[in-house]
Amino acid sequence: MILNVITPELAAFVEGGVSIHIAACTASLEPSGGRVAAVAVDADGTHVTAYMPEAGSARIVADLQANRQAALCFGRPSDDRACQIKGEFVETRAASPAEKTVVDRQWEAFLADLALIGFPAKVTEGWQTWPAIAIRLRVTALFSQTPGPGAGAPMQ
Amino acid sequence: MTQKSLGLETMAPCFQGLFPAMLYTCSADGVPNAAYLSHVDYVDPGHVALSFQFFNKSKRNISQNPRAMVAVIDPDTGQGWQLQLRYVRSETSGPIFERMALRIEAIASYCGLKGIFKLLAADIYEVLAVERAPEESAMREAPAARRQPPDAVFTTRALQDLAFRIHSAECLEQLLDSILEGIEQVFGFSQSMILMPGEQEGVLVTIASRGYAETGVGAEARFGEGIAGMVAEARKPIRISGLMRGMLYALAVKRRAQEAGLCPDDRRIPMPGLKNPESQLGVPLLVRNELVGVLCIESEVPYRFHEEDKTAIELLGSYLAIAIQNMLLRERSEASEPEPSAAAVRDAASAPRRAPLCNIVFYGKDELIMVDGEYLIRSLPARILWKLLRMRHGEGRTEFTNRELRLDKALNLPEWKDNLETRLLLLRRRLEQKCPNVRIVPRARGRFALELGCEVTLSERP
Repeated sequence: MILNVITPELAAFVEGGVSIHIAACTASLEPSGGRVAAVAVDADGTHVTAYMPEAGSARIVADLQANRQAALCFGRPSDDRACQIKGEFVETRAASPAEKTVVDRQWEAFLADLALIGFPAKVTEGWQTWPAIAIRLRVTALFSQTPGPGAGAPMQ
Repeated sequence: MTQKSLGLETMAPCFQGLFPAMLYTCSADGVPNAAYLSHVDYVDPGHVALSFQFFNKSKRNISQNPRAMVAVIDPDTGQGWQLQLRYVRSETSGPIFERMALRIEAIASYCGLKGIFKLLAADIYEVLAVERAPEESAMREAPAARRQPPDAVFTTRALQDLAFRIHSAECLEQLLDSILEGIEQVFGFSQSMILMPGEQEGVLVTIASRGYAETGVGAEARFGEGIAGMVAEARKPIRISGLMRGMLYALAVKRRAQEAGLCPDDRRIPMPGLKNPESQLGVPLLVRNELVGVLCIESEVPYRFHEEDKTAIELLGSYLAIAIQNMLLRERSEASEPEPSAAAVRDAASAPRRAPLCNIVFYGKDELIMVDGEYLIRSLPARILWKLLRMRHGEGRTEFTNRELRLDKALNLPEWKDNLETRLLLLRRRLEQKCPNVRIVPRARGRFALELGCEVTLSERP
């Protein structure tokens, strides 16, 4: 059976401090994208909230409002495990101060994973995570993106 | 902010694969997609090439909708850049494809992924705009933005300087050492090695190295294996600046398996190399399309070798190849010295022997020599050493000529280009490293002595 709900195991992966990118596009099919600092998966796995640094969010938010389709790409630097969540745009709002803890925890874990492969910490020191915009998506499809056989296949 | 004035040509560090790039596309019905991309390459001030390795969603989207965006990161500053693109064409041959394919194959070979991790096409995109990624700002103490391409390393002046340094070499050993020394002193690369074709076809042997804890002399690389083997196979320079992190992970897995004893010891000498090279350059040493050797240079600094250096690097390879081949021809032509005098033989033979003892075993089937249970060398250099040791033991001879080795049918040297001088140099260096009590000491051009610093026992096994 093809999944369109995030399982607890997959939720633990995507919330575990990985590299996250969001993709959108304009109504005239010009792609846009940017880095996301963290995500929070609803308990029932049907929705996901992406916390995108406000600094890079203007174009993405405009495109989501125009086209309503999004993709989130997750990759763990230390073992190349990767997946993609396709979603339908629900809403966007400013992330609350209470959500900063989630963002900080995941971002720190991501930096720690980068350090595992010898990534120089100074490269990321200028990257922003806060203030953030919370982008809520309804999950429509899940795909594996780990390099090798099965990359790009829908998750079963 | 649009950075039209910055220009793609100044963004070379972003295109070295240090950080994986992110490719954004969308289908004809407006479903976006984001995927990692192994290589983005500079083509000209208005175009980039993206590696197409797998038939995936990105590729399907591009066939429906030519618009794309690729995000790259400048490893010097941490600044993220977004390139708005329009697909133009796919190339499956030509210089751009070959350059990309070679880099990808070299990494694949390095990681044991050859044939799996390969380039299907170089997809050429027009760059419509270059913008900063606002959320990926530069680090606080970022170097000033580049206005000029990075300084070329292999300038004509530096090449002249190197040529001057190696002119005075008197023999192959001096020549090889002065090349590597010159590469450090003139270009600042302190880790380098030269490999030359081995006895077996399709195999390179490390003949000289500099800057490594283990010299690795005698280490072999098959054609197509690792950077040196890839260069030998392709006969083109390979420049890998910033080995991709994902590939390094594959290497780490392999290393851990070796440490855990999961990889059997196949009695091969390990290749010299940095633990975490960030830049590697392999240069074929070609004379009239004949491969004389391969020069490999490594650095722990990312992207030390630039695209702008390509012509100069090829020039360097040709020059070094001619210098090495001339020296080999000279050594061979001057190697026809007469047999050593009986007096020299007796004098040397009567030299005192000292403890300790050294057990040397020749394994006939594998044609390899072990010293005190440790691997020394195999193939032709092993056969030569075994002959020398037996003659010394049986006849008391201590001096030998290259000529008599050439004439000895039992050694089975090829008639044309036997590379005897290279094999002797390799043997001498392996002995210096692994068995210093047995020495091959040049006496004159084409003549050498076998000196023993201790008592040796010889035994032969199947």
